[in-house]
Parts: sequence; structure tokens; C-alpha cells
Amino acid sequence: MADCKDCKFASPDEAIQAMVRRTDAIIDRIGTHREQIIPLLQAMQAEFNYLPSDALNRLYERTEIDRAQLISVSSFYSQFRMVPYGKHIIKVCIGTACHVKGANNVYDAFKRELKMDENTITTADQQYSIEKVACLGCCALAPVVQIDNKIFGHVQPGRVNEVLAEFEEYVSQQKLAQEEQQHEQPQGEVRLGMENCCQASGTAEVREAVIKACQELGIQVRIKPISCVGACNQVPLIDVAMPNGEITRYPNIKPQEVKEILLHHFKPASRLRRLKNAVLNQIDTFHTDLTWDNILYKPEQERTQHINTFLEGQHRISTEGYGHMNPLDIEEYIKLGGFQALKKALTEMTREEVMKEVLESGLRGRGGGGFPTGRKWQLVAANEADKKYVICNGDEGDPGAFMDRILLESYPLRVIEGLAIAAYAVGANEGIFYIRAEYPQAVIRIRKALDMAMQNGYLGEHIMGTDFSLHLRVFEGAGAFVCGEETALIGSIEGKRGFPHLRPPYPAQAGLFGKPTLINNVETLSQIAYVVSHGAQEYRKVGTENSRGTKVFALAGKVNHGGLIEVPMGTTLRQIVEQIGGGVEGGEKLKAVQTGGPSGGCIPAALCDAQVDFDALNQMGAIMGSGGLVVLSESNCMVDVARYFLNFTCDESCGKCTFCRVGIRRMLDILNKLCTGRATMKDVDLLEELANSIKKSALCGLGKTAPNPVLSTLRYFRQEYEEHVNGICRTGSCKDMVKLQITDECVGCTKCARSCPSDAINFTPYEKHVIDVETCTLCGLCIDECDYNAIIKVPLKENK
Amino acid sequence: MKIIINDKEIEVSGQETLIEELNKRGYDIPSLCYAKEAKHQASCMVCMVKNAANGQMIPSCSTYPTEGMRIETDSEEVMSLRQMSLELLLSDHRADCEAPCSLVCPAKIDPAQVMLYYDRGQKAEARSLLAQHMDLNNLPCTTCKAPCEKVCRRGTVDENVHIREIVMELAADTTLATVPARSKANVDKNYFSSKLGRYTNAEKEWLKAEYPDASRCLHCACEGREKCKLRVYSAKAGIKSSRYGVSSALPVKEQIKVVGKLRFEPAKCVRCGLCVYNSEDGFTFQHRGFVMQVVIPEDSKAHVQESLSRLCPTGALYLED
Repeated sequence: MADCKDCKFASPDEAIQAMVRRTDAIIDRIGTHREQIIPLLQAMQAEFNYLPSDALNRLYERTEIDRAQLISVSSFYSQFRMVPYGKHIIKVCIGTACHVKGANNVYDAFKRELKMDENTITTADQQYSIEKVACLGCCALAPVVQIDNKIFGHVQPGRVNEVLAEFEEYVSQQKLAQEEQQHEQPQGEVRLGMENCCQASGTAEVREAVIKACQELGIQVRIKPISCVGACNQVPLIDVAMPNGEITRYPNIKPQEVKEILLHHFKPASRLRRLKNAVLNQIDTFHTDLTWDNILYKPEQERTQHINTFLEGQHRISTEGYGHMNPLDIEEYIKLGGFQALKKALTEMTREEVMKEVLESGLRGRGGGGFPTGRKWQLVAANEADKKYVICNGDEGDPGAFMDRILLESYPLRVIEGLAIAAYAVGANEGIFYIRAEYPQAVIRIRKALDMAMQNGYLGEHIMGTDFSLHLRVFEGAGAFVCGEETALIGSIEGKRGFPHLRPPYPAQAGLFGKPTLINNVETLSQIAYVVSHGAQEYRKVGTENSRGTKVFALAGKVNHGGLIEVPMGTTLRQIVEQIGGGVEGGEKLKAVQTGGPSGGCIPAALCDAQVDFDALNQMGAIMGSGGLVVLSESNCMVDVARYFLNFTCDESCGKCTFCRVGIRRMLDILNKLCTGRATMKDVDLLEELANSIKKSALCGLGKTAPNPVLSTLRYFRQEYEEHVNGICRTGSCKDMVKLQITDECVGCTKCARSCPSDAINFTPYEKHVIDVETCTLCGLCIDECDYNAIIKVPLKENK
Repeated sequence: MKIIINDKEIEVSGQETLIEELNKRGYDIPSLCYAKEAKHQASCMVCMVKNAANGQMIPSCSTYPTEGMRIETDSEEVMSLRQMSLELLLSDHRADCEAPCSLVCPAKIDPAQVMLYYDRGQKAEARSLLAQHMDLNNLPCTTCKAPCEKVCRRGTVDENVHIREIVMELAADTTLATVPARSKANVDKNYFSSKLGRYTNAEKEWLKAEYPDASRCLHCACEGREKCKLRVYSAKAGIKSSRYGVSSALPVKEQIKVVGKLRFEPAKCVRCGLCVYNSEDGFTFQHRGFVMQVVIPEDSKAHVQESLSRLCPTGALYLED
């Protein structure tokens, strides 16, 4: 850490000189051009933990970057900070799925636990800093918190102290040297999902338990990280694969159960050891009740039925190889048909033929717009230039969406193959993976996969002996939702603010550095290899008339089994929620499904039988978007949901055009008035007028679609807006309109009073307690604590 | 190529943007973020027109004509959206065009300008300006109910400026010579005037410390109001007051000395970016979204030319008298 390295210096001057030397090393490594500002600042922040002014002064001296550019860029992207943070950074996810499950209460709970007031973000001892982040992409485990690189799922406000304790234990364990596992003749294979969500649920602990158990038992198994199974609600999950090909799946396992599972499948090394283990294991089981719910003896059906129904009805193109493919095993990928499509394109097809195939397949861009992919390629191909670029858009920023993250983490080689085919078709020989900063794992995987593809001759000069050459690199986004917009994304690679600009000219004509540029979304590219190798006709068999193929969705929110799913276009929302998702959580009634994130809308339960494709969703006032599906139940307030999204777009607006910068803020002002019971019907009319005007007049796609959450909720749930004008929030989500009350069910156990962080509960033991409405902060901890369901939310006003 | 403008077919080269083609032909298209011959990027949306061929609203300042366009420049929809863009900008524009005192004076003197001269020590000019409007030996102020003092913004901070006392002091000082003096503009009550809204408590404390001048006047009137396009268009659009109220993250009344006579008042800035795009390592944007601001780093002030004030469409950048 920066501070530790610096404190050994005798004088401040020496410390500054050391900082200058370290900055120089970064500049020497990365470069001195204006367009390199974002990588430079990222490297500096990684080195110093923030952007110290002495290091920035060195940047002005040695590079083309000036003060105006630095202020402009560093303050635009949310990743950069000018003040030092604590040693560990707590990131509380406030993505849609986390929001509907109470992420704000989690954030407040951390601040209370760490004794931070409203204005501070770093603890007094400089150990922790806390911030809200847009979406960590682990929506199935909401609410989610990330501390440094460790992710915690299902965090409850009353349990944040346990999360911190667990993190501290994890840190101290990290310090112990880890023994490398010996690889001899493996007796079998244990497969573990190692995506973000799996890690959040404790796969790392399970992995350690496997290593430990193997050492104790003296058995040799191969531990293999695998691509996401998609059943993110059933993790940690391991598959035990025997040499004879038999695979047994264990969902939801605990580290304590690992030993038993291994013993069931594998014979320990020696007889003595076997005996000893049997005895010890008996004692373990006897003395701890941790394994009483013995996972081995549950019938197979009971063990995996959730997963089986979850996986039924899905169709795999982008996620082919789910659950058994090692993301970074290029030989395995090749064995399963990988790079065959690239080979076919390069050696058997002309550029025109590739484009024709993609056009005829009916594949439409999966980033949200739904523009025919083949057509987009043709536009780029038609522009003659000495240089062209291809870009993979992995700046997935929608809160509630994590498809692209999983595709990049689990199937990096497939996306690379797709991008290589695209580059060949449009005549580009340089390309960039633009991946958002919040996905460090995806960045690492893609970098490794690029190296492998390069070493194996699938990238680089004269690919597979042809005269086609392609070089790909990774560019890390720096935290700006608007950079998912093509022209803003290009601006950010060029070292500018992520300001979208007016089209035309389109990127196909003048894109990155003024050259014709093709930008495709991750998911679109992950379907290309299939289209090329199986042919357009085969691809067309899946999906609906105007929306061909499959769509990957991130299913989250109030649903029993959230996760990553891939279904044929035309599947109904109800099928997705009921069959794949296993229905609404807690037996509640389905109210609506939110699609398309902040640019999309809420589709009411009554319309959920409609088939999902680009056009049907548009007609319902929502959009396909990138594919986030957030399930909302009767206990979700639709005005609050609309406010949530507007709050997000207001923060993420680039600020360039009037309608988006000021207009969305004025919409948010009105929504805030509504949610605090201060609005009139005149405000609702003005809100609608603003929404319609912004939709017509904003400059870019982000601005034009930002009013959709309001327009769609006004269309289907206008009654709730009217209730809010009357001071009623029927779900109790809007805190200013409700109070907490203790009912006659109270037995006087004082548990609630002890959990209350603001001492708002007056109590006499064995008598009904009373909540003081004035001091109560409505954090809801007492509701979670009460064993008798004796605390309820009631409206401040009577419903008329 | 041929395009249609308000049902009239015209021939265009395609080399000039729509606004240039329209202005050449006498259509009156307002615009803030655009200046001919200067670098600009479409942002204010005040120059919006509709392309009826595809139903899109487009900024005419940055869009080139294409075959088959059917442009509407003055339909009800276009006019109401332009008006909304102005209203939205005004809701984030914490400034008065005219000082409240000048708007209410029954004798139609311009107290704000008198106070400005007075605080700058130009008492002769102040007295001469008064003499243009009233008989200094028979002041109407002595019997006036002084609405100027009632609306004085300083009154919301601590205590109003004693305007009449200062006027009387000036009138009585016969040693002051008669010199040419003029009011910055003819104060017209009925003309559009932006309203600043209320000061917060923190702002009040700051203002007390910042304005200890002789008169204690806050100098509410905008010094750049004569060249302000935002005001002209708001008046033309018939805007009386904003429907959104004024709420802004901008630092009210902050005044930055840039270079020479060039002054910058961020609270009046509409973030069009003309000063940013047309200075090299000078003005720059900071932050994003609603709180995005134009700033000038201390070390970059020397890189800016006074002439930049001409590009600014509001009173945010102006040359001090």
C-alpha cells in the first residue's frame, strides 16, 4: 500500500521524490499521449490508492495531458478519486435487484456499524471506506456487498457485523501461506463455479475445504473451475465427476459437507487413514449438528430438482458448454468445436458471404437497440479506409443485468472468436474489448484468453495461414453508464469525457480516431460462431419471425431462482418467472416484470403472457435492452421503482444536453415530492409532459429512453401515483408515508429494543413495547428480529 | 439536393448545417450553444427543428441537410419544446437579469446602477445618473414608500440597503461634477427578467462576508444582460416564470476574475461549452450530469483570451466596465 511504502522516508521531499519515481515508471510503461489518460489514471490509482496531486503534477510535466483535460476526464468517471480511501473499500451494490431487496438499509447499517456519519465515507482509523456502486452483477444473491475483492451475498442489515468479522478473518487467513496442491494421478474431478456470484456465496471456502479434505484423506482429485451453470440461486454448487463419466451434482453445499461427499465418491489412500477418518467423521457428525441435514442421503430428485426445472426450457447458444467447460482451457474449447467457425470463415468464405450469412440469420444486436447485425457489418465494410476498428462493447451498466459479465467470464474464447469473425468480415485488423471497471474478473479472463488465442495462432499475424491479421486488446472502462452508448464509448477510448455526439456521422463512417468502426455487444458476438458454423437457416429455426435466435437474460429480483438464463426468443415472461424462476419469492403475487433496466419499463402481470421479442416489448412501452429481468411483487412500490431508475439516470447523465441534464433532474424532483407525499396532481401532469418531451428531444439514446420507467408505470400503475398524491404508499416502501407499529402479538421479549440502533423502542419486559415515531428511522431491523411478527408497517394516513 | 422547409421546397448544397441554411433565408432560429465560425457541439437544444419525414426532433445547429428532409421550424410542437428547453435552463440559472429595486422604482431611476457607481467610488457618475431622472433639489424619494428597499435582496440576508439615504447623500453633495453617465439598459418592468430564487442560510453567511462595500449592495443586476441571448429568447417565447422553481447546484453570486477584464459567474452558465471548446487548456467541464460545471483552473487562466466573452450566450462571461 502507498502509505506503508511512503512512511519510511525521513522527509516529505523524499516521499515526493519516491512518488515521482513511481509515477515515472507508470508513464514509461503506458505512454505519454492524450488518449492514454484513462489507463494512466487507472494505473496511478492502483499504485497510490487515489490520485495524489504530486503525482498529477508529474503527469502534466511529462505527458501531453494538461489540467483542463485532467479535470474534465477524472471528474467525469466515477472510478477516480482525489482523496485517499481507507485500507479496505466496502462497495454496497444498489443495482435494481439489490434495491428492491433493501440495499439502502444495508448501506445505512454499515455506516452505523462503522460509526460513520452522513458526510464521512472513511472510518476514523482509516481501515474502511464505503461507497454505493451501480451494480456488481450478482443480482441473484441480492443484496450484495463487496469488500475489496471478496463478495458477500444475501447481506442482511442486522448481520453486517458478521460480514465484517468474516472479512477480517478472511484477510488474516490470506496472510498464511497457501500450500500448493500436488497433482498426481487424479481419481476424479471436482468442478466448482468460480464466477462472481459463486464466489460471493462461498465457493472459495468450499474450494479450500476440498483441498484440505483431499490432503487429510490422501485422495487425488482435480479441482476444475468451470463456467457458470446459471443457477446462481443454488450456489455454492459442485459437480463430482468420476473417471467413468458419472457426474453427481451437489447444490447449496456447505464447506463442512465437503469431506463427507468426497468420502462417498473416493477411497482414501490407506486403510489406516480410512479407518481413522471414518471414526473422526462419525465424531464430527455426532458432535456438530452442521451436517444433520445430510446432503448425501437426500434423494437425487430432491437434491437437484430446482436446478433441473431451472434448466428446462432453456436453449444454449451463447452459453453452450455451461457447467462443464473450463473458461480458460483453450484445448477443451477447440475439442468442443471452438474456432471451427473462424476457420470456416477465413478459409471457405469470402467477407461478403460471412456478412450475408449473418444478415440472413436474422440476428439483431443484443445491446438493446436490436439493429440487424449483418446490416451493421455491411455499413462498416462499405466504408473504404486505410484502417478500421472492431470493438466489443462490454460496458454493461444496467443495474440488474449481468449477462455480459458471465459471458465474458465463462465463455471468453467464444466472444473472442465472434469478434475475430466480425473483424474479418468488415476488414478490420485492430480491435478492442471495452470492459467496465466493475468487472475485474472479466478483464483478467479476457486478457488470459487473448494471450492463449495469440499463442495458438487464432489471433496475430496471418491467422491460420491466411493473409488475415488481427490484434486485440482490452480497454477498461472507468465507471460511466453512458459509455455503453457507442459514440460516448469511442470518446472514452480517445481519452475524453464520455459525451455522446450527434449521429450522423455514425461510427460505421467515422468512429474511433475518425476511422470506420464496428461496435457489437458481447452477447451478439457470442452468437456469431454458432451462426457461421451451423448456418443461417439453422439459426433461424429458433425464435420468432422478427427476432431470431436466443436471448440471454439475467433473472433477478423477487423470484425464487434467479440466475443467468438463455431462452429462445418468443418465450413468455410468465414461463420465465413461473417455470424457470420457480415463481415469486415468498409466495407473493407477481406485480410486474421490469425489463431493459433504466431505459426500459415495467410490464404488468396481466401482460406477462406476451411473447418476449424486440417488437412485443417495445409495444408494451418497455424495451428488450441488454436483458435484465427484475421481478417485482405486490410489496414493491411502482412510484419508488420509477424514482429509483430516474435517480440512476440522473447520476449517470453525461450532462451535455439540456433535456437530459436538467429535465431528468426536474422529473426526479417531482418523484421525490411524490414519494414524500408533497406532490399534487398538477405535478403528475408536469411529470408526464416532461417525460414525453425528453423522450423526443434528448440528444442520445440514454436520454431519450430515460423517461421510460416513468411513462410505463404511469401507463399501467397510474392509480399508485394518485394514491401517493393522497399521501398513501400501499406497500410501505416510501418511508415518509408510513410508521412502524407494535401489535398485540408482542410478548414483551425486548429483542426488538435491543436491536434498535436509534433507541426508539420504549419497553418494559413482558409488556407490549411501543415505538417512538419521532426517533424511529424505519430501518426495519426490529421487524427482522421479532420472532412473533408483532411489528408492522402502517400508513400514516388513512386510504380514502 | 432539395429539402422542404415549412412546406416550401428549397435547394441546398449539403455543405452547410440546417441553421446556416435557415438563417440565410431569413428564418429566425434561436440558438445558444452555437456560434458561427467557432467550435461547438450541440447541447442546448434551443435551435430544435422537426424532421417530419421521420418524426425526429433535431438540433439544427449541427445537422446537415439530407435528401428528403421535411423540416418544420415553427409548428406548435417545435415551439413548445424550444420553450421547455429555455424553461429548463432558467430553472438552473441562479441569477437576476434586473435588480429587484430597479424593477419597482416609481421614479424609474436605476438604483442598482447608482449603487454600482457609488461602491466603485464614481460618485459623480452616480449623481449625474440620478439627475437624468429627477430634480435633485426636490427628491421624490423623501415622500416615497420605498418599494426598492422592501424588495432589496440584502434584506433577506440581514438588513436591506438604505437606498434612499444614499440617494439623498448624493443629491446633497453639490461638489460633484456633472459627467456623462448611463444606465446599462432601459429597465423595462414588462420585459423578461430571470429570478434568482431564495438564498440558503449558508449563502447568506457567505454574502455577508463577501459584500461589505460602502452601500452593502449585493449588485443583483447582471452585468452581462445586454448581450444575453437567453434573456432575449425567453422574452420572445413569452416566458413569465419557470414552472419548475429554481433549484441549482451552482454557486450563487460567485465571481471569478479570469484575465484582464474578463469575469466568470458560474451561476449564470448554461453549460453550452463554447468557452470550453474554444480555449486551449483553459475552461473545462467538471463532474457530470446535473452537477456538471464549467470551471477555470487557476494555472490555466493565462491561456484564455478576453474575446471569449463574445462567445458566451449568457452573462456568465463578460467584460467588466
